[in-house]
Amino acid sequence: MLFSPGWRAPIRQGEVLAVFTLGLLLGGILSATVIWLLSGLAEPLPSSARALAIVAVAALGAAREFGLLSIPLPQNARQIPQEVLQTRLRRGSLQFGFELGTGVRTYVSASTPYVLALGLLLSHQGPFATAAAGSAFGAGRALSAALTWWSRDPDRDARIAVRMPWIKRLTALAVFLALALWAI
Amino acid sequence: MPALTAGRLRRGLTEPLLPVAALSLLAVAAAALSATVLCWASVGALAGFALSGSV
Repeated sequence: MLFSPGWRAPIRQGEVLAVFTLGLLLGGILSATVIWLLSGLAEPLPSSARALAIVAVAALGAAREFGLLSIPLPQNARQIPQEVLQTRLRRGSLQFGFELGTGVRTYVSASTPYVLALGLLLSHQGPFATAAAGSAFGAGRALSAALTWWSRDPDRDARIAVRMPWIKRLTALAVFLALALWAI
Repeated sequence: MPALTAGRLRRGLTEPLLPVAALSLLAVAAAALSATVLCWASVGALAGFALSGSV
């Protein structure tokens, strides 16, 4: 959608990607800031209970991606309107990136972002670690768009669609392993 | 147009599962080394990349 060939002419795609990435990073940091503010509510709980809950949430996320559990995700069932990108391309890309970066303005179809949000909420990290995780969330989304741009592959979308189930499974498994190791 | 066709090397380097492997190793290594900020940042990047199909 971002690199739709219909409107690539007047502004370079690299510029669109840069502005889009900036929006993603800002959106990720905003959501992380909100999570950090709310995470203070979890602080009275014993740290061992919070660590156990984080590992349990990560395990549920991985089990869901492997099809062992059916848990509906409380996502915002809305698409960011395409008009955002059709009026002013730079501003539209920034807004599009920002809305995607927040993770709450459109569909979130994988378990891992929920594990991240609940993990940060329960662990009550410092503001720097939480902001780093939020901006990394935006960077992770930007990486996919950047790879699409760099690949110059017209069949890229089809290739991603084939890999998506395994991308979701492997990311959920890796997050579970990392958080279990971190919590020990 | 041949110039726009992805070469094999470019196609290999932009394989979608490659960042998953790299970020997973980073997250697990950071957790094992108790590098908390790097661990959460890697988990964040994995969570963002898990939504690859959306853009």
